[in-house]
Amino acid sequence: MTTASTTARRTSVGIGQIAVSKDTSEVLVAYGLGSCVGVSAYDPVAHICGLAHILLPESNNSASATREPAWYAAAGITNLLRELTALGAIPGRLVVKLAGGAAVLGEANASKFRIGERNAEVIIELLRQRNIRPCATSLGGSKGRTVELHVVSGKTFVRTAASPATEL
Amino acid sequence: MSTTTSRVAETLGEVATDGALRAERGLSGLVGEEIKIHVPQIRVGTNVDACDAVGGPDVIVFGAYLGITGDITGHVMLLFPQQRALECVDLMCGQPAGTSTEPDEFASSAIGELANIVGSAFVNALADRAGLILHPSPPTVVNDMAIALVESVYAAILAQGGEVVMIDTVFSDEKGTTAGLLIVAPDADAFAKIAELAA
Repeated sequence: MTTASTTARRTSVGIGQIAVSKDTSEVLVAYGLGSCVGVSAYDPVAHICGLAHILLPESNNSASATREPAWYAAAGITNLLRELTALGAIPGRLVVKLAGGAAVLGEANASKFRIGERNAEVIIELLRQRNIRPCATSLGGSKGRTVELHVVSGKTFVRTAASPATEL
Repeated sequence: MSTTTSRVAETLGEVATDGALRAERGLSGLVGEEIKIHVPQIRVGTNVDACDAVGGPDVIVFGAYLGITGDITGHVMLLFPQQRALECVDLMCGQPAGTSTEPDEFASSAIGELANIVGSAFVNALADRAGLILHPSPPTVVNDMAIALVESVYAAILAQGGEVVMIDTVFSDEKGTTAGLLIVAPDADAFAKIAELAA
């Protein structure tokens, strides 16, 4: 099984957005993560899933920090955990997986901005501060990734333009 | 949209129209056929529908990225749906339509040349309008999901506190039209300079 069932309802989690769900007919999808990082979290006891689509490692402008719930890593992780907890998840039980953080604009441009790489570093550190260690990651490289979190199973799938979906 | 932002968008719209005319001349000269480029829409912000012009977020596109350096800095990204990009490659190389079928190195190189002409035309139009010295970098061509390229440009510019301006572009030749998307992202300082110019 590598793809979503055709009857599943696909909820797109756009740039800077967060979605949480306990609806087993739902698949949360973050399309085409480039330098962004998708944080997928699943509480296997309460059967609650959440997906955050984080754009940037940190804010250099306090006014813009509130633009979207997951625009920046710190707010994104805080808001994701808050929304999951509000739905009944327990942070200590979460199975967390990360995907994205690529350098799709080429190495020369990536070394100038290092956004994908820094996104991954900052998110892993923010999770560590909360005693959460990602159990699987698909980070870095030069290809965009689409991440799907299937609420029915809690499974996370990653695909690229060149490769079909595989479970993370 | 703030007054400053709308003025900047208006100025970039004028620049894009001028850039399109220059790119038309460059492309038509290259392929020996008349190619028309027009700019139907300018949008400011990280719109969720950014990729609609090229077929949706998950669609595989050719993207060409150029950095702008000089008196101001910024980013230019040109996106083409893959199929139409391959048709453009055939057109540019004087080959029968349908010759190019794979997004290979040759196709990437041709798309890089196309982006060089269109992107440089835009950057030069901006330089002339603003009286600035600007240098476009050689294009980096990638073949990937549209939204992955768009969001990476968003991230690069928003990390600097800038704004994103998206210019929908339509390329027409005698065989039909294709939509492209030109994303212009002036850094915060560049945005302020363009705003002064527009005032």
